[in-house]
Amino acid sequence: MNVQRHGTDAAPSFPGIAGRAADTDAAARIPAQNWKEITDSGYLRLFHPRKIGGTGADGPAQVAAMEALARACPSTYWSATVSALLCANLISTYGDHDTHARLLDGLLSGRLLAAFAVVETSAGSDAGTYRTTVRRAGPSGGGGFVVNGEKSRITNAPDADLAVTLARREKGPGDDGPDWCLAFVDLRQPGVHRYEIPRMGLRGMPWGGLVLTDVQVAETDVVPVPLDELSEGMTWGWLLVSVAAVAIAESALAASVRHARDRVSFGRPLAHMEGVQAQIAESRAQIDAARLLARRAAVERAAGRSARTLIAMLKIYATEMAVEVTARAVQIHGAGGVTEGHEVARLYRDAQMNVIGAFASNRLREQVAEAMGLGPAVYRAFDWLRPSGLGQDPVGLGGLSQQAEAA
Amino acid sequence: MVFPHSPGELGAEPTPDEQVREFADRVARPTTADRDRARRWDPALFAELAGARTGPGLAGPLVPRHLGGGGLSAVRTCALLQGLGEGARDPGLALATAVHAVLATVPLRVFGTARQQQRYLPRMASGQWRGALSLHQTQGAALAPAVTVRSAADGRVLNGELELVAGAPEAHHFLIVADELGGGGRTAFVVDRATAGVRVTQTRPEAMRTCSWGRLTLDDCHVPDDAVLGTPRGAATEVEPLLAALNWVFCSAPWLGVMRALTRDAVDHAREHRLFGRPLSHAQSARLTLADMATRCELAAVLLHRAAEQFDSGGRPSQRDAASARLFTARAARTVIEGAAGLAPAGVLTGGDGLIERAHRDALFLATAGGGDEVLRPVIAASELELG
Ligand SMILES: Cc1cc2nc3c(=O)[nH]c(=O)nc-3n(C[C@H](O)[C@H](O)[C@H](O)COP(=O)(O)OP(=O)(O)OC[C@H]3O[C@@H](n4cnc5c(N)ncnc54)[C@H](O)[C@@H]3O)c2cc1C
Repeated sequence: MNVQRHGTDAAPSFPGIAGRAADTDAAARIPAQNWKEITDSGYLRLFHPRKIGGTGADGPAQVAAMEALARACPSTYWSATVSALLCANLISTYGDHDTHARLLDGLLSGRLLAAFAVVETSAGSDAGTYRTTVRRAGPSGGGGFVVNGEKSRITNAPDADLAVTLARREKGPGDDGPDWCLAFVDLRQPGVHRYEIPRMGLRGMPWGGLVLTDVQVAETDVVPVPLDELSEGMTWGWLLVSVAAVAIAESALAASVRHARDRVSFGRPLAHMEGVQAQIAESRAQIDAARLLARRAAVERAAGRSARTLIAMLKIYATEMAVEVTARAVQIHGAGGVTEGHEVARLYRDAQMNVIGAFASNRLREQVAEAMGLGPAVYRAFDWLRPSGLGQDPVGLGGLSQQAEAA
Repeated sequence: MVFPHSPGELGAEPTPDEQVREFADRVARPTTADRDRARRWDPALFAELAGARTGPGLAGPLVPRHLGGGGLSAVRTCALLQGLGEGARDPGLALATAVHAVLATVPLRVFGTARQQQRYLPRMASGQWRGALSLHQTQGAALAPAVTVRSAADGRVLNGELELVAGAPEAHHFLIVADELGGGGRTAFVVDRATAGVRVTQTRPEAMRTCSWGRLTLDDCHVPDDAVLGTPRGAATEVEPLLAALNWVFCSAPWLGVMRALTRDAVDHAREHRLFGRPLSHAQSARLTLADMATRCELAAVLLHRAAEQFDSGGRPSQRDAASARLFTARAARTVIEGAAGLAPAGVLTGGDGLIERAHRDALFLATAGGGDEVLRPVIAASELELG
């Protein structure tokens, strides 16, 4: 990797990208120079073995590089990492290395940008509501398939060249394969309509929807996949988001420390006030806990273990922790922190996005609970309180007769 | 739950903490509730835990092998203490063990002269001699000085009174930090109980009842010059920072075990207990609480692991990281205890082996003794702010 390194243990840094982070947010656009620096740094190749063009960094090195880019600019990090880590992993796991070498080459060289299109306009947490389909094209379709549906709230959708798309398979008679597939859909073709979704945070990142109308996809680019197996791949997404959260929190803490040292109030810098020290200390301990768990998870994964539940725990904690830490940072900055364009205001907005993106926290808590041996979630209509005697207000001291009078 | 406690410890062999957990579950747990109720220290039980050949050798894991100890790493020792907490379900016993095996031992290993090491460490490692100290002296000089020392013709003379001395009633010797009268600075001493002027009074604090406690009174207590541990007047850079970090890491470690035990119990309770006509384990809010409890365990584990590992690395362990581990673990323990209490069948105080009640009471002790928030947070902040 030829990005800057300080010492042996230090993470690479992306000073140019960091310097443009505020502009990236304000312009809601990742500058071309960012892509050049990311590509030049070797970042896009870190996550993959040499046989597909990667550089095969180990788990801790991957996490360190991810955190470094996310420190520099969370929006740029999300966009680049969804493409190069998440989507490229899905293609290399489920695709064919020969057939899909062109896609992997493109993603790892930065020539192509990919989106992972799962969620639709309905409830994102519930795959049962997804409607997008893949079916065989008619006789004029040249043996390929067509995709129809709308994917929404998708990272990179407005700019991506390619979408790894989760869709239902329209199965012919005798087809007892999985109900779902991943389709590697070329987005540079007719039938693809895209839109942006304005949002609270991560404004620099391209984010929005894809309306796919009879979009063509070759047979080799459609891979039937059981849904539960896919959730293994999504674990990468949780790790990705967790690292974003850790980095955002660390940036917010760094800004808080700078401000506490510089800002003079009552004749001394804020840093001398125990209340401020307490906030900084809490943030430090919380960030470290999340980062260490992320490293542990990365080591486990690099060693071929799933670490799925551990990463679910990490995603829950890290993303909510970052919301807490950025809120403290805003508070330490006083009115400066709530001023448009201020770094901590941006980080505060960005932090919220991670809690929802790639599975919202409570949905993940459900999965952790299941892994703890509590069985799958059990749905029950909320109609059981009244029969228990707790669903209505009690009679007052005057008794029922007075109650009747008052009525 | 099947999460490995740290990478690399997976395998068919039971990990050290699992071995200790099973041992403590067998020898300590059956009497934990009774000992707690009676505030009873059980020397025979400690001897069993101490035994290196018959038991897990908990008295001297950090004493080098050539001095009769286990020669284990800090990380392994942390794992042993975690296993003890989980198996015995007894925070007081685990604290007593950590104070003897780590807090009273490591300063001798690190700063002791060869003579001091040969005299004390083998007997401490076998459990024959108990070392004790006041937990008030594990937070530097944050509290007002309680012991003074002055020079005399035959050595040094100590005066003062120390509360909260863990293991005092059975102790053979004490680790004491004293304020130098005239000239300033503080000096650490190892003082044998048999020294004239040493008096121990048994005390009965409300928390950590299964540990034995005492007040140590030093009344014109003459000690020879070779009772000094480390550099004279050097405690502020030697024994004091070490004791603080040891306390924050190793006295927190058993709590990771306690938290895991509480979480496992809570899962069982949620499965067995019914609320509004269905198993509590079907209630989403209960499930979410349990997920958070398990998550807190993993987070505390990685912070403790890092802080312990730094003792093994050859460099200086980070005071900030030790303080962070304690701050986080103490918080996590309270979160887990509250969660466990909320999910306990028919509430707490009505059955079970009383772990929730014990942990609830003793967690407050963890959060204050040897440095509460008001000590830990400035330590962490000082390193961030480059002040202090
Ligand atoms: C920054 C960002 C980037 C994203 N990028 C992508 C992307 O690249 N690709 C993609 O496909 N999607 C993406 N998404 C969409 C994201 O995956 C969904 O928003 C998310 O899964 C939640 O779906 P939802 O927003 O529809 O919320 P809903 O599913 O409507 O959930 C609303 C709330 O209810 C809770 N909830 C729902 N069901 C349960 C349950 N069973 N148990 C407990 N709680 C539950 C949730 O926790 C949540 O708090 C992104 C979202 C964000 C914010």
